[in-house]
Amino acid sequence: MDYSDLGLMVGLEIHQQLDTATKLFCNCPTELREEEDSSHEFQRYLHPTYSELGEVDQAALEESRADRLFTYLGYDSTCLVEEDEEPPQPVDREALQTALTVAEALDMSRVDEAHVMRKIVIDGSNTTGFQRTAMVAYDGRLDTSDGPVRVDALALEEESARRVGERDAGPVFSLDRLGIPLVEIGTAPDIRSPEQAQEAAEKLGTVLRSTGKVKRGLGTIRQDLNVSIEDGARVEMKGVQDLAGISDLVENEVERQRKLLEIRSELQSRDAEVGGVHDVTEVFEDTESGVISGALSDGGAVYAVHLRGFDGVVGREIQPDRRLGTEFSDRAQKRGAGGVFHTDELPAYGVTEDEVEALRSAVDAAAEDAVCIVADTPDVAESAIEAVGERAEEALEGVPEETRDAHEDGTSSYLRPLPGAARMYPETDVYPVDLHDFDVQEPTMLDERADRYAEEHGLDEDLARQVAFGEQMPVYEEAVDRGVDPGLAATTLEGTLVELRRDDVDTSAISDNDLLETFDLVLEDEVAKEAVPEILRKAADGATPQEAVEEADLGSAAREAVGGVVEDVLDDKEEMVEEQGMEAFSALMGVVMGEMRGKADGELVSDVLREKLQERM
Amino acid sequence: MTAGEGDRVHVQCEESEFEGIVMPSADDSLVLKLESGYNVGFDPGDVEVETLEEDVGGEGEPPVVEREQDSDLPDVSLISTGGTIASTVDYRTGAVTAQFTADDVLQAVPELGEQANYRGRVVTNILSENMTPGHWQEIARAVYEEIEEGADGVVVMHGTDTMAYTASGLAFMLDTPVPVVFVGSQRSADRPSSDNVVNAVCAVEAAKSDVAEVMICMHRSRNDDECSLHRATRARKNHTSRRDAFETVGAEPLGRVDYESREVSVKGSHVERGEQELSVDDDLIPAVQHVKFTPGKDVDIVDSSAEGLVLEGTGLGHVNSDWIETVAEFEGPVVMTSQCLEGRVCDRVYDVGRDLLEAGVVEAEDTLPETAYVKLMWALANCDDPEAAMGRDVAGEITESSRPWT
Repeated sequence: MDYSDLGLMVGLEIHQQLDTATKLFCNCPTELREEEDSSHEFQRYLHPTYSELGEVDQAALEESRADRLFTYLGYDSTCLVEEDEEPPQPVDREALQTALTVAEALDMSRVDEAHVMRKIVIDGSNTTGFQRTAMVAYDGRLDTSDGPVRVDALALEEESARRVGERDAGPVFSLDRLGIPLVEIGTAPDIRSPEQAQEAAEKLGTVLRSTGKVKRGLGTIRQDLNVSIEDGARVEMKGVQDLAGISDLVENEVERQRKLLEIRSELQSRDAEVGGVHDVTEVFEDTESGVISGALSDGGAVYAVHLRGFDGVVGREIQPDRRLGTEFSDRAQKRGAGGVFHTDELPAYGVTEDEVEALRSAVDAAAEDAVCIVADTPDVAESAIEAVGERAEEALEGVPEETRDAHEDGTSSYLRPLPGAARMYPETDVYPVDLHDFDVQEPTMLDERADRYAEEHGLDEDLARQVAFGEQMPVYEEAVDRGVDPGLAATTLEGTLVELRRDDVDTSAISDNDLLETFDLVLEDEVAKEAVPEILRKAADGATPQEAVEEADLGSAAREAVGGVVEDVLDDKEEMVEEQGMEAFSALMGVVMGEMRGKADGELVSDVLREKLQERM
Repeated sequence: MTAGEGDRVHVQCEESEFEGIVMPSADDSLVLKLESGYNVGFDPGDVEVETLEEDVGGEGEPPVVEREQDSDLPDVSLISTGGTIASTVDYRTGAVTAQFTADDVLQAVPELGEQANYRGRVVTNILSENMTPGHWQEIARAVYEEIEEGADGVVVMHGTDTMAYTASGLAFMLDTPVPVVFVGSQRSADRPSSDNVVNAVCAVEAAKSDVAEVMICMHRSRNDDECSLHRATRARKNHTSRRDAFETVGAEPLGRVDYESREVSVKGSHVERGEQELSVDDDLIPAVQHVKFTPGKDVDIVDSSAEGLVLEGTGLGHVNSDWIETVAEFEGPVVMTSQCLEGRVCDRVYDVGRDLLEAGVVEAEDTLPETAYVKLMWALANCDDPEAAMGRDVAGEITESSRPWT
């Protein structure tokens, strides 16, 4: 497909969690918790408010239509700031430093003074009803093989609460994630192909990881995509977690916008228009359709909207397995309805041919018209069918601007209207931050790191690259800084962990600290390096490395076993010891290692041998 | 050239260009609200500014809520004095400012519309830390007039910091046949999570109830589910920031209001609607000093020119024995309360206490120190024997016996 002919424009927005010691606006740790460890919970409502410009944000208003009670889970690692019961602390300096490092790497300019804003979000994911965010840098660039992409803005913001469930009253959120620093990078719509979108996203990820200060693992980085084609509209797709899915999403969205434009032309040539809303409950009084009769038996109603000239269009596919009617259904669901039936798919679902005819005549629909119906409580059904009518009006105009939810299969569904500037107003509880004081160095890029690991640490090139681009890079750097042998660190992080995972060990339960403590044990000769896999296996089950060593008796066992072999060898070579003394060390070392058949750590053997040899002098 | 607040401007900063509206700045920097909604600060020396359009901010005004009087609903008077309960963000400056008329409040809390008919009245517009006894008198007179003109209940919107003082003042000054309910918020009304909606809705329900006392209505817990009704003279702000900052000291709250069901439940005895005739004794003698004794504090802090002295002693009601002479020489009433807050003063247990009694100190029983301070101003102006009045319950400030409740 020729994307430049279609006028494809794509912008990326990347959200990356930072791995700082404390949260952005309080001193709580940035660690995720198990929900069952929650110590308390509480319930709140959120109410829409007017912005400083006297406007209510459309996206915020739509979210607030349903009056929902939000439940929040608190922990012994969260405080009153996350609960919106105490004013925020000043902006975390470590997070600012990291954000500015990223800005430097993207060749961006720094604002002189960062102002923290409140971005209204009333879906419950922030206890305050807004997300605190500050723009810290602007106008950078990212090079891709298809040319440069301008980077418009970099903002530092707080992560939202984690949605962990749903109760009758409304959703349940966990406060552990709320307030973790997040860097948001937005590019200009300079991307011209699905492949370039994916490459740009990958590059941005690499830049972020090069700081060594970002969280790793599922959900710690999220991409939003802004996609439009000529005559189409800007559509924001939220929450892409898988980089590999980006080009599919773009392709499917291009397809969707093209099909919607075709539909527009066809509707215009037919002089199509959206007719009135009708109560058609009577038509379905004796229906066999389970969905409709279920709604009616609870005192419900069936509402219909008459779509003149829409026959055959509502059922047209615009994305894999998603039709225009699916888009109608998305809107109806936002108003609390289960879904929509339309004449392009009927008779079906228990609705008979006769009922379809009766429905058509009830709203006075001609053969070239379509009719959509919603069955629910009278209020919901009427509101939902109005939403369907609004979406049908938009079909006459082409592609509606909106925010969509990205699905794993590369398709997307309606989420809410695009947010506007009206959702931002100043966070008066936090002073603006002067950014002149920050001394920031450009981070060492991952390929430079790979070169350094190969040249200075003696790793072979493939392993060096694996480590540098791998998730464990910061742990590797820290371990080597502590004096751990680079080879051991690298093979453990890129080899042992992978093997354990293959053995179905839950390596995600092994913390960075567990890894570093394990390396320390080797460094201090407490254990042989051969014991590392066993220690990590136990760490994955919840033991600390020290406990793992004690449990398995790995430390003393190793030393005792070596000691026994060394004694035997020294007894055997008594003459040699007497004659050569310490000079015999190297030769004896070879004999002992041979006896151990490589099962013991060389350093441990040499340590024990030296000790025992000296005893005999 | 210089651009004024609210102007739309073009800013050139090295290679980069911006357009936005100039926002107020606390320092020298030029603060711009960009199209994206973000505010950013520039060093004025680094940028070239060109004004594109003057004063463009503040176009969209919030819609005015149309209200109809419903004769089936009770009439509730909404008295505003300041505080954050009805505050909004200033469209132009972005600062949080208080809004006061009944219309403003109804716009901030539309749910109120279906609960009652409202009469709005603005008494003052100040933060509660700037309240003085003079303001208490003004508010008491305003409440009196509203009830006289037929209000079925009164809601007073007030900043939370000194709400308990003002409410206590009214409890002493007024005899009321209808509920008088103080309400505030701990999170400003400009944020979606503000407690103003739940608090205001519950306060109006309390104002419609049969409890004809001066009360404080605020969140009962961190949940948005119900509010507590505190008797004014026993209430205290006990937390700097939490929604449930207010507590009734030494007893269970008078009642509670369920936000969902709008149900008011009251526990224990209280003054019923219509039980008292409306009257106001609003004279106060504000020359009362409240001194919290702390170890090492110089007794010179006592102002001998004051007409009354409330001591906030340690434990059962003690001060350093060096203070006794000054206390004995003080001309007006000297009233003893305790900084323990919970519990009753008893100066008969230790020598220093007995010496204080001998020096003429009056025990205020379990009256809260802040309440005793307000009460003494009122008693000096309205009672023949202020000292006796301080040891006697007037407005629920003294409990008859110390019954454990937890």
